Order: sequence, then C-alpha cells, then structure tokens
Amino acid sequence: MSEMPAPTMTEPTVDPSVLAATPVDAQGTPRPVDAVFTVEQLAFFYGANQALRDVSLSIGRHEITALIGPSGCGKTTFIRCLNRLNDLIPGTRVEGRIDFNGSSLYAPGVRAIDIRRRIGMVFQKPNPFPKSIYDNVAIAPKVNGIRANMDELVEECLTRAALWDEVKGKLRDSAFSLSGGQQQRLCIARAIAIRPEVILMDEPCSALDPVATIRIEELMVELKSDYTIVVVTHNMQQAARVSDRTAFFTVDVSEGGRTGMMVEVGSTEQMFTAPSDQRTDDYITGRFG
Amino acid sequence: MLIAAPAIAVIVGVFHQALPALGWQLFTKRTNSTGIQNAILGSLLFLLGVLIVAGTIGVGAGIYLAEFASGRTERALRFFSEVLAGMPSIVIGYIGYVTLVVEFHWSYSLLAAVMALSVLVLPYIVKTTEVALRNVPSALGEAAAGLGLPRSATVRQVLLPPALPGIVSGLVVALAISTGELAPLLFTAGFSDNDPTLHLFHHQVPYLTNVVFTDISIPGARAHATAAAAGVVTLGILLVLIAIGRILASRARRNTARMSL
Repeated sequence: MSEMPAPTMTEPTVDPSVLAATPVDAQGTPRPVDAVFTVEQLAFFYGANQALRDVSLSIGRHEITALIGPSGCGKTTFIRCLNRLNDLIPGTRVEGRIDFNGSSLYAPGVRAIDIRRRIGMVFQKPNPFPKSIYDNVAIAPKVNGIRANMDELVEECLTRAALWDEVKGKLRDSAFSLSGGQQQRLCIARAIAIRPEVILMDEPCSALDPVATIRIEELMVELKSDYTIVVVTHNMQQAARVSDRTAFFTVDVSEGGRTGMMVEVGSTEQMFTAPSDQRTDDYITGRFG
Repeated sequence: MLIAAPAIAVIVGVFHQALPALGWQLFTKRTNSTGIQNAILGSLLFLLGVLIVAGTIGVGAGIYLAEFASGRTERALRFFSEVLAGMPSIVIGYIGYVTLVVEFHWSYSLLAAVMALSVLVLPYIVKTTEVALRNVPSALGEAAAGLGLPRSATVRQVLLPPALPGIVSGLVVALAISTGELAPLLFTAGFSDNDPTLHLFHHQVPYLTNVVFTDISIPGARAHATAAAAGVVTLGILLVLIAIGRILASRARRNTARMSL
C-alpha cells in the first residue's frame, strides 16, 4: 500500500456564484447555513468501474450527517473521498468537486496527509495499534510534533471519548486487552488527539453489541458540539436517533454495472417522515434493502 | 517417515563417527592439535558478519519492496532478487573470488567470505521481511493514514513492531542456512590454524565446514573423527538457530492472530 499521486480531478462545471445565490441541494432542500463540506456532482471510479455518481450535498458544521442506503451503494467510497483515503488505492479517480471550508479538497498542491490531520476517521472494525492504550492516543500528536503535556492530552482525549474512567489505572496495558466497544472508543480518542475539525465514522458500531453501540451513539451526540461528524450506517434507527441530516444512497444497476448514487438529502426528520423520493420511502419502510 | 529417517540417520551417523573426537579439547585446542576452537570462532564470526551485512541490506530491501516500491523499481528489484535466489552457491563463491579476492586485492579474508555468504542469503531475508510486513493487517496502515501519519512514521511506528518477530525469525533461518555453507567460502575465506582476527582484509579465516571437508579427505581415523566432530558442532549451531527461529515465528503468528482485524 503505497501513497499514490493525487487522483486526477476535473474542474467544477458548476459556477460557485450560482451556488452562493441558491442555497439548496439537488432536491431543493435547504443547505446547512454553515457548510464544512460542499460536494458537487461527485463521481468516483475504480479503474474503468464507476462506483459512485451524482453526489451533491453539503455537510453542516457541528452537525451529524448520516449516510444510509443498501450495501454496495457507495457510502463507504464516498466517506473515504472526504479525507482522501481512496488516494491509497492505485488506479482510482475522482470527478466533480469537494470543497472543504470553501477550498477544493483535490486541488493540486493540497497534501492528503494534511487533509487527514484535519479530518479524522473511525473505521468499521475497531483497529487500535498493537501498542499500549496510552501510546495509541499519543502516537499521532507525537509524530505531528504537537507540543503539549502528553499526559494531559491523553487524559483529555480519553475523557472526551468516555473511556478514561475505565482505563485510567491501566494506560500501559495493551489496547487489545480492551473490549470491542472500548477499543472503538479508544479509536475515537486517537482520532481526536490531533484536534481534527471533522470525524468521519464508517459504520462505527457494526462490530459492536447493542450496549456498546448506545455508548458510541451517546458519544457522537456529545462530540457534536466540537466536531462535525459524518457517519455511514446501515442501521436506520441509528441514523434516526443521532443525526441532524440524512443522505440516502442507492445502487443503480440499470446500465449493466453497479454504480452507487445519492438519491436525496434532507433533515433527518423530513427524510424519515416525508421523503420526497419513492426509493427512499421504500428503503425506510423496509420494502427493500 | 521418509523425512524423519534420513534426518535421524544423519544425526546418529555423524555422532557415531565423531565419538572418539568429542571432548572439551574441541573447544580449547586448535586445528593444528586435536581441537577445532579456531574454526568454531571463525564460523561464529561469519554469522555476526552476515547478520550485519545481509541483515541490514536484506531487511531494508524487504521493507522497501513491501511498503514503498512500485512500478518499474519494484519489478526490477524483485527480478534481481529472484536471480540471486537461483544462483548456485559455487558460482557466488567463484564470482566472489574473481572480484573481491583478486580484483579488489582483498585476498582470502573475513570480508570477502562474509560478502559471499551475504549474497547467498540476501534473497531469503528480503522475502521473509516482505512477507512479515504484508502479513500485518491492512487495517493498521489505514488507521495510520487516517491519522495523517507520514508513510515513514507509519512504517516505523505502526507496521514494523508487529512484523518484527517474523523478520527476526527470517534472519535467524538465513543465518542457519549460511552456517552450513562451504562452496562460497572455499573461494573467499581461505583457512588458518590460528584463531580468526577481526581484520577485514588479507587475513585468512578458519571455519567449521572447511574442517569437515578437509579432514574427511585426509586418511586416518583421527582426522575423520575430527571432521565428524566439526559436523556435530555445525549441527549444534544450526539446531540452536532453528529453535530460536521457530520460537520467534510462533510468537509472530500469535501476534497477528491477536490483531484479528
């Protein structure tokens, strides 16, 4: 797995001034007032295979945005575009535009490493490093040369991740001695240790039991005041419980291939009570997926 | 059975042959008397040299292949590594002789011998290092990338520690392979009845497999027993190295299993 050159990026076809004048997303739903990400007509390719098309949405600051949809609909591919983690896969290509705080994420000269320090990520399965609990949290600030009292920083992050009380007596123990739910909270503590603006979560609870899941959900709501959170989930109750806005993705099989696409985005309440697209309604009411 | 039988036959046979020569004098007297102390020291010195030379280059190349190389460099490096792996040891010895011993004027020497042995085991170390790194779950690399860690820090701090037992066990097995080699050394090391010195050039070095080779061709029971005793000591070093390698390899497996990512 070697660092690849940034995927080629076509310049936007959308005039930014038009966007500013019409603060609505594709389906005419209001955009968030203060957008961290603005995505326009995003498409993604693995080699010749198109994995994703027609993604246009905004992600509001200090909001939780949930991405829902059936398997293979490109949710994970999309969330990995937001911190350029797909750059690691050779032969991938991005089209369209993603603005992060108003400037293009894929512009020449933007380094993926810098982006990932500002946009943290929590993965589907807990993936702590084979190190002590303390070192898992301290490694990124150390490598990035953050000058802080490391003990304080570690305590702060573990407290913020609602893990401190459970591990304070055994910080030097291996991270693998923790339960799955604790490991996932450790990964959240590790992510916030470099003080990102955004935390991306890719099905963070899919490997956890219900009790651990509820703890992570509570934590997400608490973290919202300091971070913008984007969460992929195929647990619709989870999306309904925690998120402010929800985007529904589906799979388009009409042209022979399987291409993920975004159907609609809106406030979570509206999406779950009165979706404007039949496909969203079908998915949410359990008629498919 | 077919594997155990020859192994046991060899070990028992060598022991039986060596019986008259086995004793402390092996370790206290030199090859001009009734011992092989100088040859043991020389062989151990080779191990140290191979560890330093082939260990550094091989582990470095393995890390580079697994984590950094791509495209043409990767293919080229892989090709040359495979060519080396298939090179007969006698050819490596001969080339060592022509270049190092003669052309470079190193004479029969410690460095010439260590270089020849290193070239022999290098592909093995490259391969085991690369495999050990590739066995580290990719989720760890993704986690590190997600934190914005640079590639070099990711490799050093995240990927290498869990791969280390695998890398070291590969190194140890490479040393075991080099312990039993004779062909590359015949052309590069020379021999001496004196204890080896740390001089890199111009000083011939005695070693165990040479004692086996020479003494077996000298007529007389005494010499034959000494040859067998040198074989026993070589086997002993080999078994110790293999045992260490196996312990480390099982630790490596446990390590990866724990990280069930």
